[in-house]
Amino acid sequence: MALNIKVLGSGCANCARLEKHVKAAVEQLGVEATLIKTGDFDEYTKYNLLATPGLVVNDKLVAAGRVPAVSQIVTLLAKELA
Amino acid sequence: MLDLSGLLIGLLQSGLGNLAAYLAAHVLLCLVPAFFIAGALTALVPKEAVTRYLGRRAPKFISYPASAVGGFVLAVCSCTIMPLFAGIYKKGAGLGPAITFLFVGPAINILALAYTGVAIGMDIALARIVLSMAFGIGIGLIMALLFRRDDAARDAAGPDAFAASASVPRASWLLLGLLVFLLIAGTLQIGLFTNTYAQVTLPVAGTDALQATLNRLVPFDPARGEEGVTVQGLLLIVLLLAIAGAAWRGLNHVDEGFNRWTAVTLALVAATLLIAALRLTPAADGLTMAFPGKFFAVGLALLGTWALARRGFEAYEMQEWLWETWRFVKQIFPLLIVGVFAVGAIRPLIRPEWIEAVAGSNTLFGNVVGVLFGVFMYFPTLVEVPIARLFLDLGMHRGPLLAYLMADPELSLQSILIIASVIGRRKAWTYVGWVALFSTLAGLLYGAWVDGASAWLILGGTAAGLALLALVLNRLAARGASALVAPKFPAPETVPVETPERP
Repeated sequence: MALNIKVLGSGCANCARLEKHVKAAVEQLGVEATLIKTGDFDEYTKYNLLATPGLVVNDKLVAAGRVPAVSQIVTLLAKELA
Repeated sequence: MLDLSGLLIGLLQSGLGNLAAYLAAHVLLCLVPAFFIAGALTALVPKEAVTRYLGRRAPKFISYPASAVGGFVLAVCSCTIMPLFAGIYKKGAGLGPAITFLFVGPAINILALAYTGVAIGMDIALARIVLSMAFGIGIGLIMALLFRRDDAARDAAGPDAFAASASVPRASWLLLGLLVFLLIAGTLQIGLFTNTYAQVTLPVAGTDALQATLNRLVPFDPARGEEGVTVQGLLLIVLLLAIAGAAWRGLNHVDEGFNRWTAVTLALVAATLLIAALRLTPAADGLTMAFPGKFFAVGLALLGTWALARRGFEAYEMQEWLWETWRFVKQIFPLLIVGVFAVGAIRPLIRPEWIEAVAGSNTLFGNVVGVLFGVFMYFPTLVEVPIARLFLDLGMHRGPLLAYLMADPELSLQSILIIASVIGRRKAWTYVGWVALFSTLAGLLYGAWVDGASAWLILGGTAAGLALLALVLNRLAARGASALVAPKFPAPETVPVETPERP
């Protein structure tokens, strides 16, 4: 099963950093994943995001308002795959 | 031609002088700890600890004060303000608390408060906290009353975005406590911290000559509120530049791990704070070094912070903290420097008589002008403070000054447009009207207090005025929405303004 990942948030430095962390985590796991980055306010509301950046994996908001470490994202993704 | 270039050089000199004086005198012991506090609030305090009080099921006597206090924790970063404002409005406690959050947030963030307190005065900083919280809650309640029909129809379906809860870890509390102590020890002007407890004279020759040179390079006129640059100030500016250089290598990628430059940066920051807490006086036979109480207090706070950071936290948390702190510095500091320079450069062009004529005393006109200036001028974060200081030095009354300081961060044309995109144009302009009115009122009241009116009279008058306002609005709203089952709203003066208990 491929992973469907979204990074919510545009412009801010932490949003770019989250995207970088996600890419590193996906690479470490060696899995297939689609990654979308969006700054759309409707998307924020859809996922109940209160603070950017937000990380959405397979349509679930798993982290908001903070940038998890690469290792934490790896754990999150692995759990989603299991 | 000669005249013009002479004038330009004069302005340049004035700008640089202002910049140097600010960097040396105001920035260090206040802004450096404040940036670290802002970083810690962002990185180490889970946002859910506050947002759980802002859900749609939260009772009003919790959601309003929580919105007011939440600004302190959540609004340091502009990344948070708009999404959270939209979230509270659409999915959480509703329009009223969302407005309260929007109003209070920019006014009471730690950077603005610390800077206002040191550069202008603790009285204005305190007035800014108290009045913006009281009026933020007032405006929130008014908006909720005015638009109650609309609020009742807001999105009540879907999962609760505010359900998640978290508590603030004890180590984070401790760290924040230590940093706040560091800030207070460095800036509070009380005998315990300012009295000198020891003194040595270093045999460094030529410092008095250096001071004389500095005074010639940066001429200043104390009567106009200008400050010169001292030898100590020069030393601190050099250290600041060194910190900037080291931080560029040590903190830019600190989220990927510490390196040697990180250690250098932190050591330099500690050294700078300690030196800033000393009192260095050039003399003919050397440099006299006096140790006031704050030197020891700052030293203790630094030691405590270091020990706690090593033991109480994971390495990743500390990396996050430093990264967020540095991010704030990079985002805010360059604009602040430009702003302070510009303020210094235009200072000689503004005649004190102009300011005195418009806002020299606490009049309605003066307060309105202060508010309008705040709305139509857009200044980057914190730059409003040196500008307010300029006005103060040139003779502005503290009342209109507060009115300006209340209105400036809340309202700019840019922010009005963003707010309108979330809540609609009619509500946005209504909000702007109330903010303008309340900022003017805040200035008038505070000005009256400065001029010697009794505090109880002012408080009583405010409470009575707000109660009357609530009554009238309640009537109006009830007439307009008789079909609706009207929810009960408490009158503003009965709302507790003190902080809610936090876990």
